[in-house]
Amino acid sequence: MLEGLVSQESLSLNSMDMSVLERLKWVQQQQQQLQQVVSQSSNNSPELLHQILQFHGSNNDELLQGSFSQFQMIGSGFGPNYNMGYGPQHEAMDGCISRTSSCQMEPVDTMEVLLKNGTKEDRPISLKNKRKQEVKTREEENTEKKIKVEADTESSMKGKSNMRNREASSETSKETLKGVSEIPKLDYIHVRARRGQATDRHSLAERARREKISKKMKYLQDIVPGCNKVTGKAGMLDEIINYVQCLQRQVEFLSMKLAVLNPDLELAVEDVSVKQFQAYFTNVVGSSKHSIMVDVPLFPLDHQGSLDLSAINPNQTTSIEAPSASWESQSQSLYNTSSLGFQY
Amino acid sequence: MSTYNMVKQEFIKKWITTLHMLDCSVEHPLNVTERKNAIKLSSDIAMAAARSGSTVWSRALISRSGNKTANKPVARRILKKARNRLKNRCLTLRRNGNFTAKSGVRKRTELLKSLVPGGELIKNKDYLIRETLDYIVYLRAQVDVMRTVAAVDSVTGNLTNDNK
Repeated sequence: MLEGLVSQESLSLNSMDMSVLERLKWVQQQQQQLQQVVSQSSNNSPELLHQILQFHGSNNDELLQGSFSQFQMIGSGFGPNYNMGYGPQHEAMDGCISRTSSCQMEPVDTMEVLLKNGTKEDRPISLKNKRKQEVKTREEENTEKKIKVEADTESSMKGKSNMRNREASSETSKETLKGVSEIPKLDYIHVRARRGQATDRHSLAERARREKISKKMKYLQDIVPGCNKVTGKAGMLDEIINYVQCLQRQVEFLSMKLAVLNPDLELAVEDVSVKQFQAYFTNVVGSSKHSIMVDVPLFPLDHQGSLDLSAINPNQTTSIEAPSASWESQSQSLYNTSSLGFQY
Repeated sequence: MSTYNMVKQEFIKKWITTLHMLDCSVEHPLNVTERKNAIKLSSDIAMAAARSGSTVWSRALISRSGNKTANKPVARRILKKARNRLKNRCLTLRRNGNFTAKSGVRKRTELLKSLVPGGELIKNKDYLIRETLDYIVYLRAQVDVMRTVAAVDSVTGNLTNDNK
C-alpha cells in the first residue's frame, strides 16, 4: 500500500526534484498518522472509519494546500512557464491523491465507500459487524440500487460457493438474506440458496425433478388452450383431462358425420397436402356450380374412368337429370371423387 | 408450424390407406354406425401409425384397435409390428384393477391414465405428462383433418343438393 502510494507520487512528480523529497516527507507523515488511526480502530466500527475518512479527506486538503504553497514558492522563481506546467501536474497530483485515497480505502472495505456515499450527514452508527450489513443494505435501498445488487450478488455468491466449507460466511449470508428479503426481484434466488444448505444432494435432486415437472406443465400450458389461468397441478390436470375428452368426443362426432356424408366409405382424399387440399377446396367452391350440376353421370363408371382432372370443367353440357335419388346419391358420391380431381 | 402440417400429412396418408384397406375387406351396404366405427377405427390406427415410434400410447392404441378388427386381415398388416411389443403389457393392464385415489391430484392422474391409451401402464408421472402431450398433438391433428374432410364433403354435398 505504501509502495503504491510512493510509486504513484513519484511517477507524477518526475520533473520536480526539489519538491519530491518534501512531498515524500509529507506523504509519509500522513501515512504514519493514518496507520496510527487505523491501528486504533481495531473494531472496524463505522464511526471511527467515518472519522478516518474525514481525516483523510482533510489530510488531502492539507496535502494539496501544502503542496500548492510549496509549488507557489518554487513556481514564482521559475516564471510563467512553470505555472503552465504546474497546472496539469497539480491536477495529476490531485488525481493521484484521490487515487491514493481510494486505494487506501479499498483494503478497508468497499462497504465503507458506500457508507460514505450514502450518508452525507455525520451519523454516529454504533453497530456490530453483522447488523452493520443489514443497515447498509437498507441504506443501499434508499440510495444506489446498482451497488446494492452487486453486494447482494456477492453475498449470495458467497452463500452459494462457501456453503459447505465455511459456516461463518454462510451465516452472514443468511443474515444478509434476511435483511434483503424485502426486495422482490432477488428474493427467489436467495430463498433457494438458503434452503439448499440442508442435505444438499437430496434437495438438489428433488429440485431438479420438480423443475422438470414444472417445465412440462408449462409446455402443456402452451398446447392446451386456456391453461394459463389455472395454476397448480390439480387444476391443470383438470384442464388437460377436459381437453383430451373434448378432442375424443370431437373425433367421434366427426367420424359419424363423415359416415353420413360418405355412404361408400370413400373419403375422396388423395395424397395431397393439407394446404393443397384446402386450396383446392376453395377453388372448387369458387368455380362454377353448373359444371358440377350438369355432369350428373348416367354412366358413372365411364365418366370416372375417362375424367381425370378435367372433371372440373366437363365438356358435356347436355342437361342430364338424375332419375332416382339413390342413383343420384351414388353418382354424387362417385362424382365427388372424380370432380375433386382425385383418382381412386 | 411446419411440423404440425407434417403430422397432418402423415395422418392423411395413413388414413387413406387404412380406410381403403378396411373398405375392401367389408361388404358394401353398411350401416351408418358401422361406417362410423370403421372410420373411427381407421383414423385411430392411422394416428397411431403416424406416430409409430417410441410412445406408449400409439402402441396401446394399435393393440386396442387390433382387438376390434380381429377378423379383418388387412388391418393386421399394420398392427403386426406394434402388437408384439405390447402383448405382455396389455395383459397387465387388466390385472391392475381399481384402487381409489384419495388426493385431488391422484384422482386426476388416474382419470388421465384412463383417458390416454396405455396410460395405466405408465407409472412415472413425468412420463405420463409427456405421453399426454404427444397424444394431444396427434389427436388435434386427427380432429383437424377430419374436420376439413367433413367440411369438403358437406360443401360438395350441399352444392349437389342445391342444384337438384
